[in-house]
Amino acid sequence: MIFSNVGFQRTIAYFTAWVMMAPVPGMAASNTVAPLEKYTPVERRHWAFQPRKTVQPPVVANASTVIDRFVMAKLATEGLALAPAADRATLLRRVTFDLHGLPPLPAEIDEFVRDKSAQAWEKVVDRLLASPRYGEQWGRHWLDVVRFAESDGFEYDTHRSDAWRYRDYVVHSFNSDKPYTDFVREQLAGDEINPKNETYRIASGFNRLGPLRKNAGNQEVASSRNEVLTEMTNIVGASMLGVTLGCARCHDHKFDPIRHTDYYRMQGYFAATQEEDVSLASKEAQAEWKTATETITKEMKALQKQMAKMEGAEKEKMEQKVKEMEAKLPAPLPALYSVTNNAEKATPIHVLARGDFANKGAAVGMRPLGVLLPEGMPELPLATEKPRQKLADWILTAENPLTARVIVNRVWHGHFGRGIVATPNDFGRMGQRPTHPELLDYLANQFVEGGWTFKRLHREILLSKVYQQSSVNPLLEKAAMAKDPDNKLLWKFSRRRLEAEELRDATLAVTGRLNTKAGGPSVIVPVDQELIGLLYKPSQWAVAKDASEHDRRSVYLFQKRNLRLPYMEVFDAPDTQISCPKRESSTHAPQALELLNGSFSNQMAVALAGRLEKEAKTPAARIDLAYRLTAGRLPTPKERAIAQQYLAAGSTREFALAVLNLNSFLYVN
Amino acid sequence: MDQFLRQPHVRYTRNRREWLTDAFCGFGSLAFASMEMQAAAIKNPLAAKPPHMPDKAKAKSVIFLFMAGGPSHLETFDPKPLLNKLDGQKRPAEFGEAKYQFVQNDAKILGTKRQFERCGQSGLDVSDLLPHHKTIVDDLCMIRSVHGDMVVHSAAQYQCMTGRIIPGFPSMGSWVVYGLGSESQSLPAYAVIPDPDGALEAGQPMYLNGFLPAIYQPAMLRPGKRPVLNLDLPDGVKLSDRRKTIDLIRALNEAGMVGEDEEFAARISAYDTAFKMQTEAPEVFDLTKESPETLAMYGVGTEPTDDYGRRCLLARRMVERGVRFVTVVHGGGPGNLQWDAHEDIEENHLRMAKQSDQPAAALIKDLKRRGLLDSTLVVWGGEFGRSPEAQGGKGRDHHNLGFTMWMAGGGIKGGMAYGATDAIGLKAIEKPAHFRDIHATILNQLGLNQDALSYMHQGRKERLTEVHGEILKDIIA
Repeated sequence: MIFSNVGFQRTIAYFTAWVMMAPVPGMAASNTVAPLEKYTPVERRHWAFQPRKTVQPPVVANASTVIDRFVMAKLATEGLALAPAADRATLLRRVTFDLHGLPPLPAEIDEFVRDKSAQAWEKVVDRLLASPRYGEQWGRHWLDVVRFAESDGFEYDTHRSDAWRYRDYVVHSFNSDKPYTDFVREQLAGDEINPKNETYRIASGFNRLGPLRKNAGNQEVASSRNEVLTEMTNIVGASMLGVTLGCARCHDHKFDPIRHTDYYRMQGYFAATQEEDVSLASKEAQAEWKTATETITKEMKALQKQMAKMEGAEKEKMEQKVKEMEAKLPAPLPALYSVTNNAEKATPIHVLARGDFANKGAAVGMRPLGVLLPEGMPELPLATEKPRQKLADWILTAENPLTARVIVNRVWHGHFGRGIVATPNDFGRMGQRPTHPELLDYLANQFVEGGWTFKRLHREILLSKVYQQSSVNPLLEKAAMAKDPDNKLLWKFSRRRLEAEELRDATLAVTGRLNTKAGGPSVIVPVDQELIGLLYKPSQWAVAKDASEHDRRSVYLFQKRNLRLPYMEVFDAPDTQISCPKRESSTHAPQALELLNGSFSNQMAVALAGRLEKEAKTPAARIDLAYRLTAGRLPTPKERAIAQQYLAAGSTREFALAVLNLNSFLYVN
Repeated sequence: MDQFLRQPHVRYTRNRREWLTDAFCGFGSLAFASMEMQAAAIKNPLAAKPPHMPDKAKAKSVIFLFMAGGPSHLETFDPKPLLNKLDGQKRPAEFGEAKYQFVQNDAKILGTKRQFERCGQSGLDVSDLLPHHKTIVDDLCMIRSVHGDMVVHSAAQYQCMTGRIIPGFPSMGSWVVYGLGSESQSLPAYAVIPDPDGALEAGQPMYLNGFLPAIYQPAMLRPGKRPVLNLDLPDGVKLSDRRKTIDLIRALNEAGMVGEDEEFAARISAYDTAFKMQTEAPEVFDLTKESPETLAMYGVGTEPTDDYGRRCLLARRMVERGVRFVTVVHGGGPGNLQWDAHEDIEENHLRMAKQSDQPAAALIKDLKRRGLLDSTLVVWGGEFGRSPEAQGGKGRDHHNLGFTMWMAGGGIKGGMAYGATDAIGLKAIEKPAHFRDIHATILNQLGLNQDALSYMHQGRKERLTEVHGEILKDIIA
């Protein structure tokens, strides 16, 4: 049945063409090569492996966009309907946090409320999409998915002092509306496309973002290499394909038709991939650095040798001396963290029993996931030129059923807090089924046909009635809660708590302290001394000397794997060890303690109080200003009365602290 | 679908990175909970929950005395007279191969200077390194056949704490609180008391909640006067003023609420809990309430036991008040300030043992006399043991193939030894107990079923024991 599907035939035609185009030297099948697996029609029938469909959107009265038609039709079948439109102040706050991760200015709210033109909303959307704040917010979502961090993790947790270049690359890619095809290709294979292009080299650092274990003493070269290859392979499955590829590392996938051999054939694309730091320093500077480093290292080793024979106070003194010496080591020279193919050092890829590098099974070449290929599609040899470009070609073919669906679903998830597929990294059988499959395909088709660009997709979503509806649906709330408590069908806009970074940035913004400087090396902010003491190497935490840097946006703060800022941690920021497709939103007492007693909160309360006192002369005016800044609206009469009563005796500082703790600040309607 | 979930999983071997590294930020666990549980969880996500297996639940709390860096089993609880006979020789071939972090294949066996003595009614061997342990031996179950997969600190510490050799997975403490909630309203349910000498190789990630929601994260207690982050008022703020601020927050939040709103109600109650913690928790840290006799018993006020004594006593005070899981770390900072005796096993272990022997023994005695030992499971051990071979003449390297941990209380048999290593302490040869078996046993004593204690995320039901750990049935009283 499935084979009669025109789309599927087209897919087969494509893949056949793909393999025909590819050079296939030395493909002679050896007896040691793993056999090509077979996939049953049932396995191939899983929804996410089907070609995208083109479904005529249903005709619905009062819909303004195609998105509305799909969503409203589905609601109607359940006897539900969209909520009324949200008021303009709410809407502006919603979309500004959504696209910028920051609150709107009171003046911006006034302007939008006053603008009676038919294009008022479009103008807002276009203004926000054109701002560099957009890339900072949406780039951050991608950084979550690729588990971006600026240290190795594990014992040494060595800082990656140039990793910020990749972060800037991502932010800039979103701001320049780079097509997703280019974005993926540059990250997977930038070094292959053009090794001289710095941007491409930085992008290819994607392949090195995972944690990296290093140890002193006897090196387990093969096992370490295996860990590196695993990181490279798994992240492609999670981030670009939305499949739990890593599950097939030890055995055939338990739930999805991904064979153990599929896993290693995917790993085959990385067999020749090696880390490469491309120095940006001159030859002379590099030589100087090398000499200085070697001299100091030599002296340190000599001192350590002496130290080994010492005891007690003498030894401690020497330890101190070694530490001082270590501090004199020159900082790493600027470099691009990139990868390159090294055919001579290429790792022969075998199917590893239970994922154990020492337990080698049959050898494999490189091939994409078999369930998405025609039966018997041969693999390419590991020696194939520009292997990662080959992988990118397959991922980015318009007919790949996963790629476009996965990325448009991430965008939908970003706007609504829940994807059409609620498990953005898992489109397999254990993942959630799409709530609106036709809509997902419609968006993916549009995305592909429109050149894979994000801003067009954002625009289409934001201009829908679905996005602009209120977060309360007074007429239907009871019935809808009974039928669809999770709001999967979108009978209202789902309220959400600000993410950790948004909360910090918004706090800085409303106090007037936010430093909007964009890009460049990451900033290490001060934290409690006790926390630094919990680091294995406390000297790593070198706080930025210029205090104005401490007030920069969170996306520019240093992401250290072994020390997350408590503020971020308590508000569910991911731990950057593994891909994070979706933030948690938990509620617990340590959050209250952080916002009540934390040093950042209290500094910000002082700053906000200062602003209120400076810009508003009466308590009533201060209350109004505080609400306009933090909640994007004036207080209700009840709220105003409570606040006024408090301010009659209480301090502006404590009032400001309270405002920064309110639900109307922490949540977006 | 459930039938698939219950399929036994293949056990993985060492040296592989976790295959689910592309998964994180779990969600969906609540799908497995009943609606009532959801409602209760929204009101207080840390409310105490009944164990899966009430009949097996002997322990309510766990104290893990984590001996960081890896204490030598050969110098403490696992006497190997053959070592002294083979001192200076290469390891006889019949014992097989072992891979170490530093020492090479040509390393020579190192004898031990320690004297062992059969102690207590049970006659279990304890070395002269640990004279105070000799007095509690009848309460201890020595597991002499523990083994792990990794021979380097960071990965071994991750496995010891979280069951996995890479960071990003929830620790034992987080799992236990996820399973049982908290008995205390004013104290953190899970606390880690690190060594003030500094951090360990695996860093904070080994203690954390991994992909479990942030409510299951530990309180990392810090040295000094402010043990819990953000529990103290900022300078210049009076408690009475802050109470008014909290009241203002409540009044304004309530004024902004429309109808019933469980999430906002939970946020409002979180502020009440926070205030309660702020006012009531400091009491637990005040050791002056303890009798001079108790303080002396733990070695508080005397060097070198003062620091670890205080922290063990604090652990007792915490479990007494309903804290579920306390990890008390001994050793921190550079290797030789841990049990990491690469250079000189004598110097290192004599020093480390003097710091923690008395406090650990006092903890057992104190819990026992207060009737708390039955409901408190105490676990002692490091991320690995040490090599039978010498490193640099006097030291011992890391060693993960066979070493000793002990358990006491919480329904564990006292005065017994479980499992055994070979004649030179190289490999666990009798009843080997992997970290996952230790974890399974700890969960079992708390009445938690290792398979039911799972969290669905990214297509996999994650567990502390990853696939399945064997409960050490022989040691259960």
